[in-house]
Amino acid sequence: MRIDSLEHRPGSGFRDDGRRAAPDASPDAPAVSARRICKAYGGTEVLRDIDLDVAPGETVCILGPSGSGKSTFLRCLNWLEEPSSGTVLLDGQPIGRLPGRDGRPRPMNARELAAARTRVSMVFQHFALWPHLTALGNVVEAPVHVLGRPRSEALAEGRRLLERVGLAERADAYPHTLSGGQKQRVAISRALAMRPKLLLFAEPTSALDPEMVGEVLAVMRDLARGGQTMIVVTHEMAFAREVADRIVFLDGGRVVETGTPDAFFTRPHTERAQRFLARYAR
Amino acid sequence: MTFDDVLTLLAAASITLGLSVAGIALGLPIGLGLALLRSARLPVLDQAIAALVSLVRAAPIVTLALFVFFVLPEAGLELAPIPAAVVTLTLNTAAFDCEIFRAGLAAFPRDQLEAASAYGLRPATRFRRIVLPQLWRASLGPLVSEMTIVLKGTPAVAVIGVVEITRAAGRIGAQTYEPLPPFLAATVLYTALIAVLVRGQRFAEARIARRYGYAVS
Repeated sequence: MRIDSLEHRPGSGFRDDGRRAAPDASPDAPAVSARRICKAYGGTEVLRDIDLDVAPGETVCILGPSGSGKSTFLRCLNWLEEPSSGTVLLDGQPIGRLPGRDGRPRPMNARELAAARTRVSMVFQHFALWPHLTALGNVVEAPVHVLGRPRSEALAEGRRLLERVGLAERADAYPHTLSGGQKQRVAISRALAMRPKLLLFAEPTSALDPEMVGEVLAVMRDLARGGQTMIVVTHEMAFAREVADRIVFLDGGRVVETGTPDAFFTRPHTERAQRFLARYAR
Repeated sequence: MTFDDVLTLLAAASITLGLSVAGIALGLPIGLGLALLRSARLPVLDQAIAALVSLVRAAPIVTLALFVFFVLPEAGLELAPIPAAVVTLTLNTAAFDCEIFRAGLAAFPRDQLEAASAYGLRPATRFRRIVLPQLWRASLGPLVSEMTIVLKGTPAVAVIGVVEITRAAGRIGAQTYEPLPPFLAATVLYTALIAVLVRGQRFAEARIARRYGYAVS
């Protein structure tokens, strides 16, 4: 599991050339490179040997039935879940474990982990806004207190980001006064304020009333078109089909099928994917 | 009851107030510190703090006051009555505050903590910026309730020679053979002090509810 001896197995991901795991970031390093991610709770394996490379600018949608491990996998990418084994590189840099003195991996300390996480932002299913801060306060919190950006600068950028998601007038509102869709758009602004290399979406519309799903998806569509690197765990099939560059289909903790949206939705080649899609077609 | 007696009662009230404020002011940070130490679940320390907190919570304030005043000197810590009273009240309220903060920490929404970690907030920053501002608001009710208990617990330190409201009222009653006026005055004084606390709590809670929209217990 040494970080400098990662093997890129053929067919395991996007643009494999076996030299992507260089310790320093290069312009064409994958935004994320996950290798052989396994996760077990007690004796239950929820992720088995998942590989994923995502190129800068790419949008990947992870689909799969409930319990397939897609959310757990997403949470492994920013180390909110610690994989039982496997490695994750964000923009060429490891997260979660570092090579130790003896060459064996050692867990990152709190400071190292926090630093690694500044490269990846996450949008949560239940928003996870901080209720004691205004919309703008939520957006500037991490840029100011983690990245150390000057407050005035962060506030100006925060206002721009809120404007971008259509919430310029709600900058000083507290989360409890916002609708679900508005909360999620604030959460997206908060994510963007970190200028992340990679943006993770954990079922961002699953907790929303149906009429609010559209406004959130519209913002995400804009981001994808604007070249933001994104991994989206979702049940919104129409969105995935329209916006994703690539679909990764998980079932039983494994990658069962991966391909372009067109290939996946029109001619899925595994029986599992066919059954999954049949349920949504109805 | 003469004018002098009224002055004596007012002086005693300032002692009661001073002791309470000192105990509360020292007990709050100590209680918070203990709660944080416990939430870190450090092997031996955790059990040690748990045992100590249980012991202090179980001990009547009178007993604790006698312990501090008469037993600690054996260990080389000799305190005058007033400092001993402050130590007693601090210990007592810190133990209860610890439990209040511990409950608040245990109930803190996990998703907010997770979001803070995901955005790179280190544990100390996360506590200062995300947890503490909400923790004290959520704990306000139980904390004020505990403060009133401290205030009402102050007569217990009379046992080590501190003259606070109740002790002063007792003396006046004994000298004049008219216990009703001084004890009535004492009751009014306690009520006034507690009313200030409760008013402050209501005011703060109303502000919090208006601004942040989350109810506080």
